[in-house]
Amino acid sequence: MRHRAPPGWAARHWPALIAWAGVAIYLFPIYWMIVSGFKTQAEIFADPPTLIPHDPTLEAFHYVLVRENILRYLRNSVMIALPVTVITVCLAAIGAYAMSRLRTRLVDAALIAVLLLQVFPEALLATPVFIIFKSIGLVNTIPAVVLATSTRSLAFALVILRPMFRQVPIELEEASRVDGCTTLQTFLQIVVPLMRVPLMVVAAITFAQAYGQFVYPLTLLSSHELQPGTVGIYGFIGAEVSDWHRVMAFASLFVLPILALFLLLQNKIVSGITAGALK
Amino acid sequence: MSERSPLLYVFLLVPVGYLVSLIGFPILYNLVMSLQEVNLGNIDTLWRPFLGLQNYRDALADPTFRKVFVNTLVFVSANVIGQVGIGCLVAVAFTRDFAGAHFLRGLLLAAWLLPALVVGTVWKWLFATQSGVINYFLASLGLIASPVHWLSDPSMAMTALNIAHIWFGMPFSMILIAAALTSIPDELYEAAALDGAGVLARFRFVTLPAISPALLAVACLVTISSLRAFDVIFAMTHGGPLDSTNVLPLFSYQASFQDFDFGHGAAIGMFAFVIVFAVALLYVRLAYREQEL
Amino acid sequence: MRRRDFLLHGAAAGAALANAPAFAQAPKTVSLWHIYNNDSDMIHLGIRKFHEAQTDYRIEQRLVPYVQINPELIRAIATGSPPDLVTINDPDLASYSSQGQFTDLTDRVAASKVIDVNKYFKGPQTSDRWKGRQYSVAREVNTLSLYYNVDMFRAKGLDPDKPPTTWSELAAAAEKLADPAKGVYGLGFAAQQSEQSTFQWLPWLWQAGGSIDKLDQPEAAEALGFWADLVQRKLTSRDVINQPQGDVMSAFLAGNSAMVVNGPWELPRFRREVKFEWRVTLLPVKDGRNIRASSLGGFHFAIPKGAKEVDGAFRVIEAMSDPALFREGWSASGLLAPRSDIEIADPAWPQAYAVFREQMKTAIQRGPHPQWSQLSRPIQTAIQEALTGTKPAAQALKEAAAKIQPILARTPL
Repeated sequence: MRHRAPPGWAARHWPALIAWAGVAIYLFPIYWMIVSGFKTQAEIFADPPTLIPHDPTLEAFHYVLVRENILRYLRNSVMIALPVTVITVCLAAIGAYAMSRLRTRLVDAALIAVLLLQVFPEALLATPVFIIFKSIGLVNTIPAVVLATSTRSLAFALVILRPMFRQVPIELEEASRVDGCTTLQTFLQIVVPLMRVPLMVVAAITFAQAYGQFVYPLTLLSSHELQPGTVGIYGFIGAEVSDWHRVMAFASLFVLPILALFLLLQNKIVSGITAGALK
Repeated sequence: MSERSPLLYVFLLVPVGYLVSLIGFPILYNLVMSLQEVNLGNIDTLWRPFLGLQNYRDALADPTFRKVFVNTLVFVSANVIGQVGIGCLVAVAFTRDFAGAHFLRGLLLAAWLLPALVVGTVWKWLFATQSGVINYFLASLGLIASPVHWLSDPSMAMTALNIAHIWFGMPFSMILIAAALTSIPDELYEAAALDGAGVLARFRFVTLPAISPALLAVACLVTISSLRAFDVIFAMTHGGPLDSTNVLPLFSYQASFQDFDFGHGAAIGMFAFVIVFAVALLYVRLAYREQEL
Repeated sequence: MRRRDFLLHGAAAGAALANAPAFAQAPKTVSLWHIYNNDSDMIHLGIRKFHEAQTDYRIEQRLVPYVQINPELIRAIATGSPPDLVTINDPDLASYSSQGQFTDLTDRVAASKVIDVNKYFKGPQTSDRWKGRQYSVAREVNTLSLYYNVDMFRAKGLDPDKPPTTWSELAAAAEKLADPAKGVYGLGFAAQQSEQSTFQWLPWLWQAGGSIDKLDQPEAAEALGFWADLVQRKLTSRDVINQPQGDVMSAFLAGNSAMVVNGPWELPRFRREVKFEWRVTLLPVKDGRNIRASSLGGFHFAIPKGAKEVDGAFRVIEAMSDPALFREGWSASGLLAPRSDIEIADPAWPQAYAVFREQMKTAIQRGPHPQWSQLSRPIQTAIQEALTGTKPAAQALKEAAAKIQPILARTPL
């Protein structure tokens, strides 16, 4: 006979407890970032470190909201990230679908090419990219940044979506073909709806990557009004002096909208899971 | 038979063509520069002294370059293993249903959403020898006798950097693996459980094979993004101490924008190509092999 | 007022003046790229005054993050679209001017009624020139001196009116002031693997009687040995090898460092963050040597080759040399005028002002050398090796010298 103590609250809920504790520890650096926004610069470097600010101040947040107009930066970041997401998801969807259905060396070559094109650090690509857009007269425009940034997530999207497109059973497509649909109709009406969840995940990640894009906006946008938050944050870092508490306040506010977006999307993904992705 | 509709070829060539036109030229530009002597005097013209492979030879002869190359390999390997491994474990852990599971999983993403500059700076503060929270906690828990010189000891700095960078990237791997996990039908797990398979066995024989294409893809992507990592390292250590955290992109940047020796910087950047070419080939080969099954 | 408001204000004033005479021309635009993200920096006052004083030119400014000014300028040069006026860091000047990327300003400066080269401190005078011709005009300068915590001095029985004047006094004071139990170090300086550590260490090298082309000589070893010794005796935190100057000052302000070597640009932070009495004194000299030297920093105005409005840009430079600007420059940003004839009456932080100005007389420029970065990097490596104890100072410097000799052989300092 096995003797078991009656399961208590802890025994039932230990996965949740561990998870909450684990996430709290994992996110401690984020807490540190936010709390640093409420400290004076000197206190950030105090030894021993202060987990709760000794003289909390709203100065950094006030400066960032009022004098730096973080809302304009956020708006610009979104104005760049949205078109990038649309372009990337569309191109990646068709590309990954083709890669999953075609079985030729061409696909291998295309995949290798796409991966190789991603390798270069942006700092090195920035100069020739600037030259390209200067020669077509698009410097200091949002479309230039959108086009350049779209290249960043495209490879990732292709690589991720390809195996997932392959999981769509070919029989479904053949059935639809037998029904008289064209390849395009099959793609749009059968395949894409089944790929809702992965496409949404890819879109969310692409949006986040574009939101966090720094090098291209810095290089291609000289006008203060167009710059996104990632460039704005460097406004606090001067030649010798930096205002780190303001950097942290700025970052805390900057990350809020995108985090909210992801938390909301979590629910969509959940409903996608419970409905069954590939039923 | 598999469909070979011409539309599929169009579908393939549009995104690839887009990438080639916008990135191909910059890479070509860098390739040409790497074969020339380019400095502030001739950066504005295309006709510069041709050096052949001299820039590459100079790089290989430089002991710092060799150190940087090794650092890059170490950094990339640690990040791939760390981000994908931990990401996989966390993704699997979160498939259990408990209060707030999905909310917590989304919250973890906050780490990945931060600007790289902020990640590097916050972790620099956390790892500070005297005023850093990590040493403070380790000391109060009695785990260390004296403060660890995370960032001021050349032998520890890479470890600290890896911790910070894995922390930064893990949520990305996790969410992708989580998405892949959703496609595994529950029946497979039930069947395995009926056959008497425990948790680990179910993971090994059901989960792992089902998500291995996704794992491979994620590993490939993390490799590439680690090879490109720049801003976190720049903010956290500047490549020091003693170049112990200097990696190819940063070294290339130093050559180009501090030494103003652009040909040399381009050549260093090209070495990353070597690594990625090998990785890309490996990925395609492995992905192709699983296609055959 | 925000940056944009300055522009609008200037434009409105310019428009009002332009409307008056019937035959006024449309003002030409001078594009100015600068790094001053501080809203109260004197450049904004300078732009405003420039717009009020004349109508021929209007300044269109672009704020570039400090770390990006070189890459951005290089991209502009590479595409044949340089700005008319740009601010460049002192040690980078020779790299551009030696390659002919800056406009020769010698004749214009000689003819200028506003800029008198001889009134400039020796340091910026030298770094503005390359091979006898002048290619830039210093906008502001800074240097390094010793900050010390007066309260801590008193607490440990040291006389704040008699701060250390020699290296041995400095080490002795650091020993008295260090308090490991409270996490207090005696002395702080920046030794991060970047230009910052070179900037911080060179005064010690020079005061020891050494020079960059003679790093393998004992003087250099003594200078680096002094630093290494302080770290080894735990009078200076080992973390300095990962700290830029801003972090070192933060440690001072937080009370974790009794003395620090730092510059005047940190002073504006003192308004909000300092909670103790403090003073500045000249950098202590080496016992027996008595050579007074410090580093020179600061940004200079330069007109890139190919700029469209060279005359206009030069007039802006002249306007920016107006002595009236430097009062704001000092109190807002802790920046010193590059000229010895400009002295602010009744400055903010008067004690610090007097000391830094005095130190400026002995501030030496880095180079000028077109490959300054490649001279600096072996020095940074040597510093890090000595401070981490990886190699003894003398050996580290010998290896650095070996890397530097070939570069200096091609182009001497």
